[in-house]
Amino acid sequence: MLTLKSLQAGYGRLTVLKGISLHVRPGEVVTLIGGNGAGKSTALRAISGLLPPFKGTVEFNGTDLTRLPPERIVSLGLALVPEGRRVFASLSVAANLELGAFHRRDQRQARRDLAAIQERFPLLRERAAQPAGTLSGGEQQILAICRALMARPRLLMLDEPSMGLAPLMVNQVYQILQELKDEGTTLLLIEQNARAALKLADRGYVLETGRIILDGAAAELREDPEVQRAYLGKGYREVWE
Amino acid sequence: MIAYLLHLAILGGIYVILAISLNLIVGYAGQVSLGHAAFYGIGAYVSALTSLLCHFPFPLAALSAIIFTGACGLLLGLPTLRLKEDYLAIVTLGFGVIVDLVFLNLDITGGPDGLPGIPAPSFLGVSFRSPWLYLVLTLMVVLLTLGLTYRLVHSYHGRALRAIRDHEVTAQVMGINTPAYKVAIFTLAAALAGLAGSLYAHYITFINPESFGLHTSILALCMVVLGGMGSLAGAVVGALALTVLPEILREFRAYQDLVYGGLLVGLLIWRPQGLLGRGKLSLKFISRE
Amino acid sequence: MFLQQLLNGLTAGAVYALIALGYTMIYGILGLINFAQGEIYMCGAFVAVLLLGTGQVNFYVAFAGGMAAAALLGVVLERVAFRPLRGAHPLVPLISAIGASIFLQSLALLLFGPLDRSFPIQFSFSTITIAGLPVSSLQGAILGAALGLMALLVIFVRYTRYGKAIVACALDRDTARLMGINVDRMVSLTFFIGSALSGAAGIMMAIYYNATYPRMGLLPGLKAFSAAVLGGVGSIPGAICGGLLLGVAESLGAAYISSGYKDAFAFAILILVLLIRPKGILGGRGD
Repeated sequence: MLTLKSLQAGYGRLTVLKGISLHVRPGEVVTLIGGNGAGKSTALRAISGLLPPFKGTVEFNGTDLTRLPPERIVSLGLALVPEGRRVFASLSVAANLELGAFHRRDQRQARRDLAAIQERFPLLRERAAQPAGTLSGGEQQILAICRALMARPRLLMLDEPSMGLAPLMVNQVYQILQELKDEGTTLLLIEQNARAALKLADRGYVLETGRIILDGAAAELREDPEVQRAYLGKGYREVWE
Repeated sequence: MIAYLLHLAILGGIYVILAISLNLIVGYAGQVSLGHAAFYGIGAYVSALTSLLCHFPFPLAALSAIIFTGACGLLLGLPTLRLKEDYLAIVTLGFGVIVDLVFLNLDITGGPDGLPGIPAPSFLGVSFRSPWLYLVLTLMVVLLTLGLTYRLVHSYHGRALRAIRDHEVTAQVMGINTPAYKVAIFTLAAALAGLAGSLYAHYITFINPESFGLHTSILALCMVVLGGMGSLAGAVVGALALTVLPEILREFRAYQDLVYGGLLVGLLIWRPQGLLGRGKLSLKFISRE
Repeated sequence: MFLQQLLNGLTAGAVYALIALGYTMIYGILGLINFAQGEIYMCGAFVAVLLLGTGQVNFYVAFAGGMAAAALLGVVLERVAFRPLRGAHPLVPLISAIGASIFLQSLALLLFGPLDRSFPIQFSFSTITIAGLPVSSLQGAILGAALGLMALLVIFVRYTRYGKAIVACALDRDTARLMGINVDRMVSLTFFIGSALSGAAGIMMAIYYNATYPRMGLLPGLKAFSAAVLGGVGSIPGAICGGLLLGVAESLGAAYISSGYKDAFAFAILILVLLIRPKGILGGRGD
């Protein structure tokens, strides 16, 4: 449903993404892993329209997204949970969720969705009137994910949802992602935390300095010696677990 | 005609000094001042009063103006330069309005009537009453100012200032004493504006508060931005352009200000970095995004 | 005497607050000081006066017409003078705003001439005594209308979808776009609302002082700008408090200290407050 063809993007004269191609099929959970500065966030920014790509194409359900602004792309059913959560700190939790559904025409249905989400995450109902900035990092991440869900996306993209969170919170966030997966939501997940991402995903791509160097089923990638050495810290695993 | 051109040239020279001094604050230290005419006015009044009341010769009167405005700049700069840019803009704007009202309300400044009969400079046995000689004097001061600022901008201190303008926190981390630099440059700029005011007072020989109000502050800022922030040549070109432009627009009579305002907007849309700016400043925007 | 001055100050302050709201909203979403806000205020007053002068419309239609014209002018101004300059150094749009301000002022001078115009309809003043204090009904009406408009704005921003979307754009433009919010449209909306409020302020002052002239926006504009900074730019309650505070300070200062320095008090207080609280009285939100 999402296809990238030799996508190049960057900032000013600096090309960060040197042509990547990947695809996501409906119902699939795909992860893009890589180290710092590999170009993971750049890829998501380019797909979501925040950063107009230099070259290449992004196609979503038959629509060419390459030249569309982000606000149009969201309404096509492609939502992004941005890096660092980016909740609207001084707006209330409820307002943050409502804004997630801003572009939708069926505002009545959106209000029902809001109630359903608050049902599912009582935390978001209890704190509904509180400024989002007063939530803890993990709570903000849950809010950011729910805010994106309020758009009723057909594909949900997440940029490093585990970044800066305590291990317990990481587990909780990934628990939610697992539930979304079980419900059949299509996910494109960008992570530095390769261990968590490869556990959840069906397939994965490994990005290094702007190029995809490896791709395959998540289980295969987990066993790949190169991935184990570079991203899973083999040999240290026992210490951490 | 010649007399008129001479008049424009002298006025243009004085504006060049004013624009260069403001450019130090705006283009090199990255601070916004909307009240620069206050220093220009203080310089004019101090210079006029010291010659009228204390019979100071011109060099001494000009020196008093420089020292006094410098001190005012220091006093205003010390507490206010820790404010963010936009806040500094309004504080300097308020300072300009207050100083303007002080000129209007004090007895010693002659209130709205101003000060007439300021003597033309006369020193080293030469009287500068003739416009030709005054032009020479103005050009000498302009060259002196240009030389001084050129040396400053291309020195170690100039680089430190540009570092502050481009990224204050980074400059601080690199060990540059940013508050001290900002206060120092503000003081210097105020002193130079005072010098310009002194030149103006002794040329026109009559001053009143009208010449030093908000519109003069804004005019000076327009010169700097139009010429190109952070470019010495830009400040010169901006000052000369905005001295000559109203004269050309005189033909339009009633439409003069209309065309002036429209041109200002149009020019900026056409060249946001200013006529001689290098557009380096807009990189700031990319890194912020 | 004191209470009367206080009331005079509150009336002027409420009007400053209305203009300050425009400054603060526009600053919040664009980081831009719209120097031409005073001319938008002037435009509102002129259009209302002209409409009433035709004798075809009643006062309320003229008031609404003045606000609408001001709002429209604000939107056009943003399109022409600010939007092409997005991404330039912050001083560039500031100078562009100054250029627009000069342009609009001289346009008004050409169209309306330099003389003051009195307000076409005379309101019958009645003075009511409330708790021993004589209150002119005109002051009461201006104060009431200004506070009413502010309340409407607060409700709009706090409780409506578009109000929240404007706040979202001010807080984090990129993320707002990811929510499907069209930032350009929200900027236009902000200019529309802020300018309508300034236009209303202009009409109120045109009635209060019974004078409409091309340069009428200059000082109220500058003072409202100070009020916005005093309260903390970007903060709506801050702009309201700042406006009222400046109005009162100015009125009391002129009455008890020196009337010659009337226009200086607003700025003197602003400078003093900023030295103690560099972010304004209610500032610091978001930033």
